[in-house]
Amino acid sequence: MRQAGTYSGILSGGISGKTGPHSFPLARIKKIMKKSGDDVKMISGEAPIVLSKACELFVEEITRRAWMMTMQGKRRTLHKEDVASAVIATDIFDFLVNLVSERSATSEQEEITTPPAMDLER
Amino acid sequence: MTCAHSLHTYASVQKYIYLYVLMIDEGATCQHSEAKVIHLTSEMVDEQDRLLPIANVGRVMRQILPPSAKISKEAKETIQECATEFISFVTAEASDKCYKENRKTVNGDDICWALSTLGFDTYAEAMLRYLHKYREFERQRVNQSKASNLENEAHTPIRASTDSTDSDGSNLQPEKQSESPIAFEFRVLEKGQSSKIKPAATG
Repeated sequence: MRQAGTYSGILSGGISGKTGPHSFPLARIKKIMKKSGDDVKMISGEAPIVLSKACELFVEEITRRAWMMTMQGKRRTLHKEDVASAVIATDIFDFLVNLVSERSATSEQEEITTPPAMDLER
Repeated sequence: MTCAHSLHTYASVQKYIYLYVLMIDEGATCQHSEAKVIHLTSEMVDEQDRLLPIANVGRVMRQILPPSAKISKEAKETIQECATEFISFVTAEASDKCYKENRKTVNGDDICWALSTLGFDTYAEAMLRYLHKYREFERQRVNQSKASNLENEAHTPIRASTDSTDSDGSNLQPEKQSESPIAFEFRVLEKGQSSKIKPAATG
């Protein structure tokens, strides 16, 4: 729920929160960015900062839409099915369709996976 | 040697986990089944590595939902995955543009362009304003400090010399005595929406 309020009155914490200037750790964002493709070579300092904010907006929007599904079902707990419904109902979330249907398809049991090759150069 | 089961705060000891898994591989003994322990630690490492932290995701979610709302663990995990995928998706598009234009570095403008291209118009507009504010702050910060601008991956403290609110609604907080980073406040309004009107439910 967006707070209705004065245009300038963001003295009480606001969306950014109190723990720091960014909603998500920049180093982690940068790591994810690097893994997104082979041609991602260099990333400017501002790119993760912009993405952190954009990601915040994204989480807000998908949560809001999922919650609308929850309310339609007259429930008070947001379930992953609500997230899936929100994704299917929103055109710009098309890139997530496989992700949400994969998650409901896999069994809830933890599978034994081989440990990944370790990279100690961090 | 302590067991994985006692690692409650694995989020802060990633290196330790790597070392621990190494020790398991080298045949160190553990009172719990080794296969299970390896699985636990490798899954922790995987999740930690490739996804956004679930605590941050949960925090943003709770800021949006009514206080009485409950969130299932799976729902949070799903959104954690979606948010991570969002970053990859936007970055790939931005990086592709850079590649085609023979540029090596993905910058903030490329991210904004990618957001717009992929259909996230509202985000793109807001992020362009955010980006310009950030650049303005950075200029002020560089001008204020005598030391050269350090390139690092930590949070960059942003200091404003005045307490002002500009026309597009971002509130720049005044510099505080402590060295802690200052929240760079930025409010996003939806198109056609005045700050005085309560927003209707989005369709």
